[in-house]
Amino acid sequence: MSTLKRMLFVLLILMLGLLSACSPAVPAETPMEEAPVEEAAPVEEAAPVEEAAPVEEEPAMEPVTIQVFYPVAVDAPIAAILQGYIDDFQAEYPYITVEPVFSGGYADVQTAIQTTIDGGGEPPALAVLLATAIYDLINADYIVPLDGYVAGMEGGDAYLEDFLPAFLANSYYDDQLWSIPFQRSAVVMYYNVDMFKEAGLEPPTSWQTWAEAAQALTVKESDTTNWGLHFSSDWPYWLFQPLAIGAGQNILEDDCTVTFDDPAVIEAVQFYIDLSAKYGAMPAGVQASWATDTADLASGATAMIAHSSGSLSGLLEQADFELGVMPYPGKEEGTYASVPGGGNFYMMNGIPAEKQDAAWKFIEFITRPEYVADFSINTGYIANRYSAYDTDAMQAYVADVPQALMTRDALQSAGAELATQNLGQVRGIFHDYIQRAINGEMSAADAMAAAQAEAEAALADYCE
Amino acid sequence: MENQAARKPFKPLPYLLILPTAIFVAVFTVWPVLLSVYQGFFRQRMNIAKFREPSWIGLGNYIDLFQDPYFIKVIGNTLKYIIGTVPISIILGFLFALLVNRKVRGVGFFRLAFFHPMVLPMVSAATIWLFFFTPDYGLFNTALRFLGYTGPENWTGNPNLALLSVIIVAIWKNSGYYMIFYLAGLQNLPGEVFEAAALDGANDWQILWKITFPLMRRTTLFISTVAFIDAFRTIDHIFVLTTGGPSRASTVLLFELWSQRFEYQDIGVSAAITVIFVVILLAFTITNFLVSERKEA
Repeated sequence: MSTLKRMLFVLLILMLGLLSACSPAVPAETPMEEAPVEEAAPVEEAAPVEEAAPVEEEPAMEPVTIQVFYPVAVDAPIAAILQGYIDDFQAEYPYITVEPVFSGGYADVQTAIQTTIDGGGEPPALAVLLATAIYDLINADYIVPLDGYVAGMEGGDAYLEDFLPAFLANSYYDDQLWSIPFQRSAVVMYYNVDMFKEAGLEPPTSWQTWAEAAQALTVKESDTTNWGLHFSSDWPYWLFQPLAIGAGQNILEDDCTVTFDDPAVIEAVQFYIDLSAKYGAMPAGVQASWATDTADLASGATAMIAHSSGSLSGLLEQADFELGVMPYPGKEEGTYASVPGGGNFYMMNGIPAEKQDAAWKFIEFITRPEYVADFSINTGYIANRYSAYDTDAMQAYVADVPQALMTRDALQSAGAELATQNLGQVRGIFHDYIQRAINGEMSAADAMAAAQAEAEAALADYCE
Repeated sequence: MENQAARKPFKPLPYLLILPTAIFVAVFTVWPVLLSVYQGFFRQRMNIAKFREPSWIGLGNYIDLFQDPYFIKVIGNTLKYIIGTVPISIILGFLFALLVNRKVRGVGFFRLAFFHPMVLPMVSAATIWLFFFTPDYGLFNTALRFLGYTGPENWTGNPNLALLSVIIVAIWKNSGYYMIFYLAGLQNLPGEVFEAAALDGANDWQILWKITFPLMRRTTLFISTVAFIDAFRTIDHIFVLTTGGPSRASTVLLFELWSQRFEYQDIGVSAAITVIFVVILLAFTITNFLVSERKEA
C-alpha cells in the first residue's frame, strides 16, 4: 500500500469511528415514531356533555398540523392515553391534526428540540418539558409567553386560578406566564401501614419520631438488613428539598439566589446523614436506589421510602399491604414538607401563528377538568386543577383510592422546586457537594459552603 | 509502482463508486468536526441572553478547560476507564475464544453464554446490573459474599467504586463481542503450522505464545482499535447506573460533553471538548496503524 492510500484508509476508519461516536449526542431529528394506535384507549370516561365547552361554530378553517413532543419514560401507558385525548380533540376540531412525538425522558425531549432548532428545523408547536426548565428555555429564546392567549379566553383569570398554586409557581417569569401545568407530581413518603401497626407505631409527625420509627422498623437478619427507610440520593436535589423546607429554609430564594449554606439546609443534610450514622435506620452513603426503592417497599424489604407521587399507581398495584402516603415530617412536631415536580406544556417560538393558535386550543382542551381527572386516574399524576376533583370520575376514584387525595394534600406544605438560571450547572454543583457530605468526604457545613460559593460564581453571569 | 499509477489514464469509475460514501462522510463527519473546531474559538451559551450570539475568545475555552481541576478529573476518569476496560476485555475475549474453539459437546451453549451480553442493548444491560449491584440482596453482592467478600456493597453510590462498577459492566458486555472476532480468526488459522509445531515437539504454551498469538496479531490490532473507540463512545450505562456520580466520580469525557452541551447549553466549551475528543482518537488510530504497518514491512 502506498503511504497516501494507507493514510486515507486510516482516516476513513477514523471517520467511521467518529461518526458512531457522535451518535449519542446528536439524535438529529427523531424520525416520527408511529404512535401505537391502540384503539383501546383506556377508560375513556364519557365527558358530561353539559360541562363541555360550547362548541363554537368555527369559520371554515385551513387545515393545520401541529406536533407535540412528549416524554414517555414513566410507569403508565402514556402514549395510548394521550392518543385517546388527541382523537377526541380532532373530533372536535376537524381542521387540526395533532402529531404526537413520543420519546424517552424529559432530557431526551429537550435535547431533540434543541437539536432541531439549532439545525435550523421547525420545532414542534408544543412540548411537555420540566417545569424547572423555564429559565433556560426563555434565555435561549425557545418559547413564547402565553398571557395573550389567557387574556383572549372567556374567563381567563378563572382558568388560571383553578390550577393548584404550587404547580403554577414555576410558570411565571418577568410577570409573564410561560407554561401551563400538565403532568405534575410531588415528593412524598410512602409507608407500610401494616408494619407500623404491628410495631405499635403511629405515622411520624416530626424528624425525631420519623427517625425513631425507621430505627424501630430496621430488622437485621444474618447477611441482609430490612431497612426502616430507603431514601435515594443518586439524583439528590429533589428528594432532599423537603428536608430543607422542613428544617425551615428551602435551598433557593429565587432564580438568582440559592441558600445552600443556610444553617437550616446544613442541618437537613446532617439529618440525612444521621438517619444512617446515628439511628442506623438507613444504608450509609449515597443510595443509588431510585429505580429499586418502589420494588423494595412493595416486597417488604423496607418499611418506608421517599419517592415521587407518580409511583402511587404502581405501588398500589404491587403492594399486598395497606399503603400510607404523607408529606415528609418536618423538623418541628406537627410540621410537614413536600416539593412539586413534573412537566408543563410549553409553546415553542418560531412556528407560524396559526399553529400556535391550534396549539393553544389543544392546551385548553386537554386541561379541561374531565381530562385532567381522567389523566390523573390513569397515570397517578396529581390532578392539577381544583375543578378536576369535583368531577364524578374523580369523586368515585378518591372514594376508592383515598391516597390520591393525600398526594394532593401533601402540596399544601410544599416549597418551590429548584429552578434557577443556569439550572444544569447549579444543580450539578449541589449534587456534587451534597453527595460528598453524604459519603463522608466533607462535613455537611464545609460541603454546603463550597457548594454555595461555586453556585454563586455560576450564577454571576446571569444575575449581575 | 507509484510511477505506473501516475501514467495510467484517469479512470472515473472508482471515484464514482466511492462518491456516495465520500459525500456521506463529508456531510456527517468532516463538516461537524470542522464546525466544532470553528465554534471552539467562540464563547456561546444558549441559556445566557448576552452570550447567545457567539463572540471570539481564541483559545479561551481550551485554557478554561485545562485550568479547571474538575475537567482534569474527567480526563483522569476517562483514562482509568480505558485502562480498566480495553486490555481486560481483549484478554478475556481471547481466552473465551480459546475455550470455545474446541471440539467438545455443548460448546455452542458456552459460545452463546459468552456472546449474549453483546446482543442486549446497553441500557437494558445496565438496568439489569442496577439490580445486580443492589446492596443486601443484589446478585453481584450475594455472589461476592459467597466468595468471602466483606467489603462495601454500595457499588454505584460509593465514590471509590462507581467508576469500577461501570467498568465491570463494560467488560461484561464487550468481552463476548471480541471473542467472536478471535474465534473467527482462530478458525481461519492454517492447520499445517500447528501440525508442524506438534511434530517438532512444541508444548501447548509454546504453540499458544509463539504461533497462535502472533498469527492473531491483525485481529488483535483490529479489536484494540474497536475497543478503544468503543470505550470513548459508550456511556449509556453511565446514565443508567450512576448519572456520572456520585460527586462526578464516574463522569468520563463524552458524558461531560453531553452535560456541557445539553445541560449547561455551553456551545463553545462543548465544541472545544469535541475537538479534544477528535484529536485523541486521531492520535491513537494513526499511531496504531503506523506501528502495525511498520512491523509488517
